[in-house]
Amino acid sequence: MRKSIILSLLCLPLGLAAQNPVVRNQFSADPTARVFNNKVYLYPSHDIPAPEGQRQDWFCMADYHVFSSANLTDWEDHGVIITQNNVPWVKPDSYAMWAPDCVCRDGKYYFYFPAAPKEGRGFDIGVATADQPEGPFVCEQEPIKGVMGIDPCVLVDDDGQSYIYWSGMGIRGARLKQNMKELESEGMVMEGLPEGFKEGPYAFKQGGWYYLTFPWVRVEKGTETLAYAMSRNPLGPWDFKGIIMAEHANGCWTNHHSITQYNGQWYLFYHHNDYSPSMDKHRSVCIDRLSFNADGTIMEVKPTLRGVGVNQATDQIEVDRYSTASEDVTIQYHDTLNTFRGWYAELPKKGSFLCYNDVDFSGVDDAYLTANVKANANTQLLIREKNEKGKVIAKIDIVCVSEGQYRRDQRGQWLHVTAPLQYVPKGVTDLCITCEGEDACVDWIQFKNRQSYFKPVGAQPSLPDANGFIRRWTLLEPIDKPNRSNTVFTDTYLREHFNKEYFAQQFTILPKDGQKVKAGKQTLTWHALESQAYNVKLFRFSEKLQKQMYGVLFWAVTTIDCPEEIKDVRLAVGSNSASMWWFNGEEVLLLSGDRRMVEDDGMSPRVTLKKGRNVLRGAIINGPGMSDFCVRFLDDKNNPVTNYTIINNK
Amino acid sequence: MEKFRNILAASALMVAASSSAQIGQPYIHDPSTLALCDGKYYTFGTGSGGLISEDGWSWKGGVVRPGGGAAPDVMKIGDRYLVIYGATGGGLGGGHSGRILTMWNKTLDPNSPDFKYTEPVEVAASDGLEDNDAIDPGLLLDPKTGRMWVSYGTYFGNIRLIELDPKTGERVKGNKPIDIAIDCEATDLIYRDGWYYLLGTHGTCCDGVNSTYNIVVGRSRKVTGPYVDNVGRDMFHGGGKMVIAAGDRVCGPGHFGRTVIDEGVEVMSCHYEADFNMNGRSVLGIRPLLWKNDWPVAGDRLKEGTYEITSERRGYSLELAVDFVRMAQERERFWEMDMTKPIKPIPDQTLQEVIGTWPTGEIGVRAGDYMFRPHQHWTITAVPEAGGYLSNPYFKITIDGTERALAATQDMELTTVPTFTGAPEQLWRIEQLVDGTFRIMPKQIPGQETLNTRYVIYSAGDSTPTLAEYDFKSDNSKWNLRCLRMK
Repeated sequence: MRKSIILSLLCLPLGLAAQNPVVRNQFSADPTARVFNNKVYLYPSHDIPAPEGQRQDWFCMADYHVFSSANLTDWEDHGVIITQNNVPWVKPDSYAMWAPDCVCRDGKYYFYFPAAPKEGRGFDIGVATADQPEGPFVCEQEPIKGVMGIDPCVLVDDDGQSYIYWSGMGIRGARLKQNMKELESEGMVMEGLPEGFKEGPYAFKQGGWYYLTFPWVRVEKGTETLAYAMSRNPLGPWDFKGIIMAEHANGCWTNHHSITQYNGQWYLFYHHNDYSPSMDKHRSVCIDRLSFNADGTIMEVKPTLRGVGVNQATDQIEVDRYSTASEDVTIQYHDTLNTFRGWYAELPKKGSFLCYNDVDFSGVDDAYLTANVKANANTQLLIREKNEKGKVIAKIDIVCVSEGQYRRDQRGQWLHVTAPLQYVPKGVTDLCITCEGEDACVDWIQFKNRQSYFKPVGAQPSLPDANGFIRRWTLLEPIDKPNRSNTVFTDTYLREHFNKEYFAQQFTILPKDGQKVKAGKQTLTWHALESQAYNVKLFRFSEKLQKQMYGVLFWAVTTIDCPEEIKDVRLAVGSNSASMWWFNGEEVLLLSGDRRMVEDDGMSPRVTLKKGRNVLRGAIINGPGMSDFCVRFLDDKNNPVTNYTIINNK
Repeated sequence: MEKFRNILAASALMVAASSSAQIGQPYIHDPSTLALCDGKYYTFGTGSGGLISEDGWSWKGGVVRPGGGAAPDVMKIGDRYLVIYGATGGGLGGGHSGRILTMWNKTLDPNSPDFKYTEPVEVAASDGLEDNDAIDPGLLLDPKTGRMWVSYGTYFGNIRLIELDPKTGERVKGNKPIDIAIDCEATDLIYRDGWYYLLGTHGTCCDGVNSTYNIVVGRSRKVTGPYVDNVGRDMFHGGGKMVIAAGDRVCGPGHFGRTVIDEGVEVMSCHYEADFNMNGRSVLGIRPLLWKNDWPVAGDRLKEGTYEITSERRGYSLELAVDFVRMAQERERFWEMDMTKPIKPIPDQTLQEVIGTWPTGEIGVRAGDYMFRPHQHWTITAVPEAGGYLSNPYFKITIDGTERALAATQDMELTTVPTFTGAPEQLWRIEQLVDGTFRIMPKQIPGQETLNTRYVIYSAGDSTPTLAEYDFKSDNSKWNLRCLRMK
């Protein structure tokens, strides 16, 4: 008991993704999903690889976890709620904690589970109770008397009467007492069900009908389907209606399920051995939508990889869980020894495609596409909206082999690639990936919003930030200034090249936003900007303007309005790479050599901030790095000077 | 004269034939922290290989790592080794889109039947546009919490911190990276005495003898930072205190790794972008790691020369147990000094003046007041053929001007033998401790079968050196080496 409390406190938000299977770091089977407090709670059984001494090719289950989700996309594992050796009546190390159920009645949660009893043979069914759906659960001392079997399911009817169904010599049902822990009537075999092996009953009520649904082997030596019968009475007799889900295509012998309505949509929870292709006793819970015909009958559900739920475009979208695909598309494990690492999809030739439904673009702003892809030859994928002929959102060029200066051979390696967006869909839509060239593999795609580095300046003067850094600058688009990589900029070189005139009035101009200058063949524009970081990221300034980022020379000007004269301050600068600074027309600082931007790297001699307007001008030259600078004034005690404003040039 | 001698010493240093780094073929770039596997040292480098050493001093290639890429790190966790590396990125061909992967191996020895890597697992990546370049991972297994962290990144954006599950080597689910530094690369995280340290490589690599690479450090009480330098600057603002820069005819140290040999005995590994004694090649460097006011700083490589060896206990100097020979001096009583008399230096006592008074066989060793006499001057000379240990070769310690060599005895005492024979009890392992003092241990003690790694020269009394078990907490284990003259 104590243990189960401790374990249930270990809530692990896993960020489990939307698609099938829904639990992606462990096996999970026999799902019962219930809606409590506007969330879906999932009570599966928990397949584990058999420990030594246990039968290796059989079901092996030692405990139960509970999971919850508010959107069917993100699932939280609340940890273990019951373990076999903590239940008074369960035979220790029997590893037979099979399919459970959980219902709520009068604010209490009743968890029903089968297990091998200490005394006797076969299975009994026990109850545990809790005040919260995720526990902690307290187990009864004894199993429910009069029930021999597995796969309990409890139906709490509208009139307050509860019924329990289980599987044991056929599917049986009985009335439960008000205490939910004892039978009120003897168990009876449910009448009207078809011949053939049946187990795992799940009963629910909808539109005046009682539904009894169950795994069923419809042909001799076949595997399980999911089937159902309907009745106007909770304990039958039943009218058999047919199949909800056909046999699993890969031969997985069992299926076991529950049917739940959430936010107006009905869902089928079931299982399949996705993570254990060679051993069907290790299963995983899947979800697909389920619909009714007008007469109350259930439409057959086709299992999908995609499952349910809406993906945010800004999250990684595991496209190997596609909703539809051309027939030649295959999925493969990343690691056959650790299948929980998931899959990737292969689009083998031009024209191959896969589609992924329900992606929400409402969070996409100034974004680009990133994807994890691999190929054995250079190829191209298109991301389209809606279907394989839809509007192109982005073009992914996979360049795994290239010649020339940056020769590379990354054939068969996973590559994180990016692509600009040609078009941004609105709201929730479907995506389709089409192969436009050679064979390509895709693991996931994601739409990423670009980080913002600058804001336009406001009309009002701004202040230095709390640490005295000046964030408002008028920056000139980069002047082309090729230089060799790994340059240690010498003072001689810098004096020559910083003092050279690139554009008219270079040392006197008070540039306005949008003003243009001519520098050699280049026509360059001044941009008045507010840096969002303490350091002014010139590299990102250039990148945003789609200008050259390396081998360039930047000019930066800012005007300071000081309410009173401040003597004996120093200009403190860090820059990447070398820079030169002029204060009120005088050169005050040169940072030379192999520079990176370091706060307070170089200091000017003591200068005076005049009352009124002061002009600070800098030139920054960049080699191979990401050019930026940080500038502030420090007083004679090395404290930042902040009592001035930074004004726009008009 | 004094000046002249300094010049001589300096020029001797410039032509020093021995390598400034390790010996053998220690050619590597971006070495991982050293790992010990079945008694051998391993370090992985950029490319597919790395270096192996039997003794920590002589290195050769032969390490095997699939996946190529750059700048791996390695750590033993339980009975397995976790290897982490960057597959792409770093501006190499693939731009700044990088992937960091981990994989396990039961052994690092490619000849072992157990040698097999698991499938690599991606733990971090950069897309090429964001402010990060996912290469250069450094591993930390936090001894306080058992949690595992990785710092990674280059000059392209920020250095990031992520958490791995030490049981699987995979990223902790839901873990979001934290930006902890800018403008450095080849970072490593270490923990010591309540502080987390982030070591970053600043400057420029890959430019041979003009590479300005250097290693700086910031520290934090929390693994998640902020990592702040000695003047309070955040490494996220470019801060960092120098740990090691160019010098001693090597330049461009990068890719810090810390190895704790014993309590108070630590070394740092790195590569030097260029070893001026070895064609300017990029080589493995191993240096003592010292701690000053809880800041790490690289110690110097021990240089051959003549030293005074004084105890940390009392400050007495290690000397031959021979008669003190008084020096003659024309005495002047201070109230009778003749101010017109020229001032001239008194020469040092010479070996020739005293050696005749010494016995010719074994002579014992004691500690006494340092009087800069010949029986107190020890010449420390590398014995390259004797192999080495992490950071240095074995040395012989002889009385200056003689072949009389310091030796360990079977009964765990010290003696000197008239002639150095190369016997293992005459070979000394000299290691600088984290506080700047040294421990001095014989390679082998007569009568003991294995290499000695426990017993050091120890102050039994102020005047009585002996061999006893090393104890960092006791000043009896520690000695200071004061250089009188470099070779």
